[in-house]
Amino acid sequence: MKKSILIVLALLLVNMAMAQMKVTGTVTSSEDGSPIPFATVLVQGARNVGASTDLDGKYSFDNVSKDAVLIFSYIGFTTQQVPINGRSVINVVLVPDATRLDEVMVVAYGTATKGTFTGAASVVKNDAIKDVPSITFENALNGKVAGLQITTLSGQAGSTSAIRVRGIGSMNASNEPLYVIDGVPVVSGNAGQMSGYIYSTSNVMSSLNTADIESITVLKDAAASSLYGSRAANGVILITTKRGKQGRTIVNFKASVGITPSWATDNYEVATTEQQVEMYYENFWNAGVYYQNRTQQDASVRALQQLNNRFAKHGYTFTAPDHTVKTLTIGGDRAGQYFDWEDVLFRTSVYQTYDLSVSGATESSNYYTSLSYTKEQGRIPVNSFDRITGRVNLTQKVGKSVEFNTNINIARSGKVGFNDTRALGNNYFLQSRNLMWGLYWPTDYITGAPWTLRYGSYAYNPLFYNNEWDNNSSTLRISANETVTVKILPELTLKTIFSYDNAGTLDHLYYSPVHFLGSASKGSVREMSTNVNKLVSSTTLNYNKTFAQKHTIGLLVGWEAEENKTEFIRAEGSDLPTGALQTVATAGVLTSNAYYWGNTMLSMLSRAEYNYDNRYYFSGSFRRDGSSRLGPDARWGNFWSLAGSWRIDKEEFMKNVDVISSLRLRGSYGVNGTLPSANYGWRSLATYGNKYMEQSGGGVSTIADASLSWETSYTSNIALEFGLLDQRISGTVEFFNRDSKDLLQDVPTSRVTGFGSTLKNIGEINNKGIEIELSGDIIKNETITWSAGITASSVKSTVTKLYGGQNIIWNEPTGGDARTKFIYQEGQSTLAIYGREWAGVDRETGKNVWYMNNENTTTQPTTVNGRPATFRYQDASEKIIGNVHPKLFGGFNTDVKWKGFSLALNFTYKLGGYTYDAAGRDVTDDGYYWERIMSKDQYDNRWTPENKDAKYPQRVAVDFEDVNQKSSRHMHDADYLRLKSLTLSYNLPKSILNKVKISNTRIYFNGMNLWTLAAYKVYDPEVNEYGSRGWETPIGKTYTFGVEFSF
Amino acid sequence: MKKINLLFTVLGIALLSSCEGFLDVKPSDSAAAETSITNANDAKVVMSGLMRKLTSADYYGRNFVLYGDAKGGDFAIRSQGRGNDALYTFNHSISSNNYGGYWAQMYHCILQANNLLLNIEKIIEAGNGTAALNEYKGQALTTRALIYFDLVRIYGKPYNMDKASYGVPLVLEPLDASAQPLRASVEEVYTQIMKDLTDGAPLLAKTKVNGFLNYYGNMALQARVNLYMGKYTEALAAAEVVMGTTLYSLYSNANWNGSWALPFGSESIFELGVYASEANLGTASLGYYLLRLAKVTGASGWFMASDYYLARLNQDPTDVRFGMMERDESSTTRLGSCLKYVGGPAMLGDKGVASSTNIKVIRLSEIYLLAAEAALNLPTPDKTKASNYLNAIRKRAPALALSTPVDVTMSMIEDERSKELFAEGHRYFDMIRWNKNIEFNDDFIYPAVIISHREKIINRTFYKTILPIPQNEIDANPKIAEQQNPGYVN
Repeated sequence: MKKSILIVLALLLVNMAMAQMKVTGTVTSSEDGSPIPFATVLVQGARNVGASTDLDGKYSFDNVSKDAVLIFSYIGFTTQQVPINGRSVINVVLVPDATRLDEVMVVAYGTATKGTFTGAASVVKNDAIKDVPSITFENALNGKVAGLQITTLSGQAGSTSAIRVRGIGSMNASNEPLYVIDGVPVVSGNAGQMSGYIYSTSNVMSSLNTADIESITVLKDAAASSLYGSRAANGVILITTKRGKQGRTIVNFKASVGITPSWATDNYEVATTEQQVEMYYENFWNAGVYYQNRTQQDASVRALQQLNNRFAKHGYTFTAPDHTVKTLTIGGDRAGQYFDWEDVLFRTSVYQTYDLSVSGATESSNYYTSLSYTKEQGRIPVNSFDRITGRVNLTQKVGKSVEFNTNINIARSGKVGFNDTRALGNNYFLQSRNLMWGLYWPTDYITGAPWTLRYGSYAYNPLFYNNEWDNNSSTLRISANETVTVKILPELTLKTIFSYDNAGTLDHLYYSPVHFLGSASKGSVREMSTNVNKLVSSTTLNYNKTFAQKHTIGLLVGWEAEENKTEFIRAEGSDLPTGALQTVATAGVLTSNAYYWGNTMLSMLSRAEYNYDNRYYFSGSFRRDGSSRLGPDARWGNFWSLAGSWRIDKEEFMKNVDVISSLRLRGSYGVNGTLPSANYGWRSLATYGNKYMEQSGGGVSTIADASLSWETSYTSNIALEFGLLDQRISGTVEFFNRDSKDLLQDVPTSRVTGFGSTLKNIGEINNKGIEIELSGDIIKNETITWSAGITASSVKSTVTKLYGGQNIIWNEPTGGDARTKFIYQEGQSTLAIYGREWAGVDRETGKNVWYMNNENTTTQPTTVNGRPATFRYQDASEKIIGNVHPKLFGGFNTDVKWKGFSLALNFTYKLGGYTYDAAGRDVTDDGYYWERIMSKDQYDNRWTPENKDAKYPQRVAVDFEDVNQKSSRHMHDADYLRLKSLTLSYNLPKSILNKVKISNTRIYFNGMNLWTLAAYKVYDPEVNEYGSRGWETPIGKTYTFGVEFSF
Repeated sequence: MKKINLLFTVLGIALLSSCEGFLDVKPSDSAAAETSITNANDAKVVMSGLMRKLTSADYYGRNFVLYGDAKGGDFAIRSQGRGNDALYTFNHSISSNNYGGYWAQMYHCILQANNLLLNIEKIIEAGNGTAALNEYKGQALTTRALIYFDLVRIYGKPYNMDKASYGVPLVLEPLDASAQPLRASVEEVYTQIMKDLTDGAPLLAKTKVNGFLNYYGNMALQARVNLYMGKYTEALAAAEVVMGTTLYSLYSNANWNGSWALPFGSESIFELGVYASEANLGTASLGYYLLRLAKVTGASGWFMASDYYLARLNQDPTDVRFGMMERDESSTTRLGSCLKYVGGPAMLGDKGVASSTNIKVIRLSEIYLLAAEAALNLPTPDKTKASNYLNAIRKRAPALALSTPVDVTMSMIEDERSKELFAEGHRYFDMIRWNKNIEFNDDFIYPAVIISHREKIINRTFYKTILPIPQNEIDANPKIAEQQNPGYVN
């Protein structure tokens, strides 16, 4: 004590001896130009001399040496040192620093600072996602977190995404991560039942407004996630919503409008109408001449007959005077005019969003409220989505030791969806590529009336039928959680959270008596209500104390109970009196259904942390979960983790290594689990859905294994974190290994048992990989900063053990039409494409050739590249033909800030692996399904006597099934690089704004998917989680303009 | 710290004592399978469920009926690619168009019958048997016989061709998930079918039970199965039991057409109920698939009558059975579309909706024709009976001369079966049972395309006359691969 008094005195004496002056200024944030209150300003070398900024970010020193250096700091921002140099006004712009090790991040059941956290986690701040025109935050995370794979299931407005954290750990149970919002596990995934009817999904997470998100933490290893126990094996995504900042009230308003005029890439571009006619003719001509030994004339007459037969009613006639395609001419009354289906099936869609938020805080209370409206159209006219969200986050201190926190979010969304599957009748994307020709018109050629009949094959006139059906889903989601925190002792805190999460979806699906799906029942209408309720109660006790200055311990114990219940009601009516009324009330025939399902879980959890001298960190966690999804004998499971880290940079021997500003090694090992998706998977059930002659009917519906248990994952993780040149460059290199055991599998059973499969815990999968995150400032000075970052991940996902070593052949579940075939085989990838190996096209005959891959003899043998091959696919064996998993994936981004301008580019990439073309069989059919002759790719690349080195075989109207085989013919390189997002923004200068009392104004432009480089160019390379591309709506290029004001 | 530990322990104990109740969550719409059948009422619910499962699209609801006609030469297709034309073109392999739905659905139904039988047996053993339970036991046995008969006809060679060859796995009680049963011989399967039928017959009511099998349904099946086995005496005897009751009567010529718009008519010995909100397949129903393409929205024109069938029916242009035929897409005069499953020209089904029309599985007409065939093939042919029984149906072509004991022939009976039972799933099985050549009306496809998977004329030596054991069965039951039907490789 005496010593310090002396120092102060000494300093005062020194100060008096120097020239003193007054200095004032404002501290603002480079992010949005807003003032930073409570920032710390210190004078270098002077103890106990310092100031804080006020609510307007202003500070002042009355007496400071004109040669002094000021140090400006604020949590989350890079500290700046500014020499006064005699200036009396010093305004400072602080730059946020994502690489700081003392940054606070949200982790399981609490917070941690980045430098002390022993687990593997990545944090994404609101900044990185706020300008992306997306209903949900998931798409915005693409390429930003190493180890995270995000795939879109469809380009439809409002559809769900699939997120995979570090590969695939389960075959049968969910691979989706757990979502936790503000400390509470929440409902996620698809809302409502529409996917059972028109295969459109609606994402529950879209009820969360991206603008309300403060940060997202992705927990990846066991140390980070094991505290979530049985649900953590697929990773955990923690979302923290915004809170007010101490200071004056901030009103923020943001508006943006985007348009999507085109798809992001080519998607099965069609040949011209003339080319399609040529292929159609050729199809029958070839069959006649080469396969039926007809004369050219005979074959030509028959081919023309086909064309005339089909298109005379649309006003076209066809002739070929010399009986070959050379003279094929399209005549008739509509000759030369073709209907532009692309023009009516797609539109330039519009996206708009408006956000308003008010926030602020005082010593004892903190509030954030927001209201937002978003409307997004799909490019297909019947698809749209809109949403209103409102949020209130309120914290109030009562007395010194009690704090109440309430977060309430209400969101109402509406979606009009679309059938994304291979539905020939009404998937408009498919029709535009496959069945609608310019020769088919929406009106009758003679009467001018709307065309209501089928267009050859199964396509119907969408212009007419669009008005004969209707579908929409509306979801109302209410989440409320209340937290009470009691500081029992300075070191001991009790926290109890009670949360209610409710998502109620109403689905409406109507087909008029005229509609092809309503005609058999004389019109039908369905109303379905799905109400998902989730109640979570969680109580934790937290003890933190530092002993003898160097020993810090943290202890956490708690318990949690969760109840999930979904109530379903369906009312359905058919035999409708009029198309004007779309209600069940008017129907002649009524049916209904109602039941509920759910599950419960009880848990106890604990964690202990210790650190010595902020150099050595240890932590351990233990959780015991019991779930109703498992039988009494298997119900309880234990999950735990151990982890440690070492701040190497704090060691003596590192003091002299200036280039390294931080260095940390950490490692962890732990066990977590996954529950079966089925609520009652362990029970053999009799169900009663088999009503017969208006009496109840039932029967055995499953064979179950009563000892069904958890899937268990054993994860180890080791990482090196480093910072160079005073943190100008920082990065992480991370290795992980995850062994998932006792995996749930639908083990195929002999159909003779009455069932095709039964659920058992039998398989094992290994995921291992390396993740690299690197970021740095290339240029950093007061006027310009240029930073860049890259993420790269390589995950090897392998099936290591199967039931009795027996392979499991399975089909991709998407769309319900088995579009890709896979095999689980020991030692092979978890996404190993299984099928026949296509050897291409025989040069002389234009026929498909197949590698035998067996020792069988074939009636039509040949060789390709010296290997035995056959013209009969039936004689060739199936094998693993490719792996969907990429070798490397990730993203890179670069930001340039200059004065008020900033430009941010975000790229995503994938290298290695294959995609499977599930739609190719439709657009490049070999000729049997002669409607399917639409693609330009096929026109350009089919075998003809003039083009013998062709990619595709000769077109001929014979029922060869080659194209319908699952084979390497439909497999293509998956590599791509995409400019996912580009944002250019400009902060208007303060000098202008101050006059109109606006503290900050920002205008920006964002472009999504503007540029793509892909190895295979026929369709969009951003495919679904199974690596396949089918008839789902592609994604588009979106151009968004926005403006943001703060008051 | 001790306090905290204590608190946690107390909390833990309090929790655990109540948690097993909290964690016992039962489904609201299903029951535990083991305890779902405890009395006659439960048995009735399961029997209803079983009948409903027979009406699946993979079975009597559509595909099984199509199978019997698409492959028998009575059906033709106009265009390829409309759906299910593989049945007609015989484009089958183990992995493509293997029609494994038959296999899966029929065995799923057999499981239901086996489960019912097992549980009824348990109730009876516990001393709680009732007459009603016996009745359901009889129905379950008879249904199981019906399903095995259908299975063995699809997957096994005809009994009179090679009864020692592979039939289908014979399973008489619910199996464990790990079971990998192998195929029994055709003969063993037929033996079990006859055993189930004869065991079941005495338990069954001799009254009509609409929508379910009764005693006469059982006897009709006995007649059918015996006929397939070439046991003509037994077939005739069983048929005559059915013909001898007053519960059923043949439609008069005046009523024949109208009968297709009525549920449970006087000829229906076994008819499956297809009600609007139950097994109704809508535009995917059998009725819609046989309608003229685009006659109404959703009508597919999958299959229509072949030239050969029409020529047969045209032996008498006034044949009443033309009433169920309507013009097809090929011309304004060719009567190729069948209206049996939409309730006739009014298209109102038998209950007001075209697609919810009952499926008539066994009709008295068939029993007469079966009796005629049995009588004619007796060791000592009874031509009087043969002629009489045939004429009861043949008179539906009023301009044709009735047969006499002198001129009655097998080919007259064969033609009559085709005419009467068109689109009812018999023709193909009859043709291979009779060892006849089947000719396909391939030139009706317009414009012509090559059918590469079979010849224009086939007979039962063609390996594809029976379906392959499907790939997914082999994947789960590898040893059965060695018992694959000959000709199907890889």
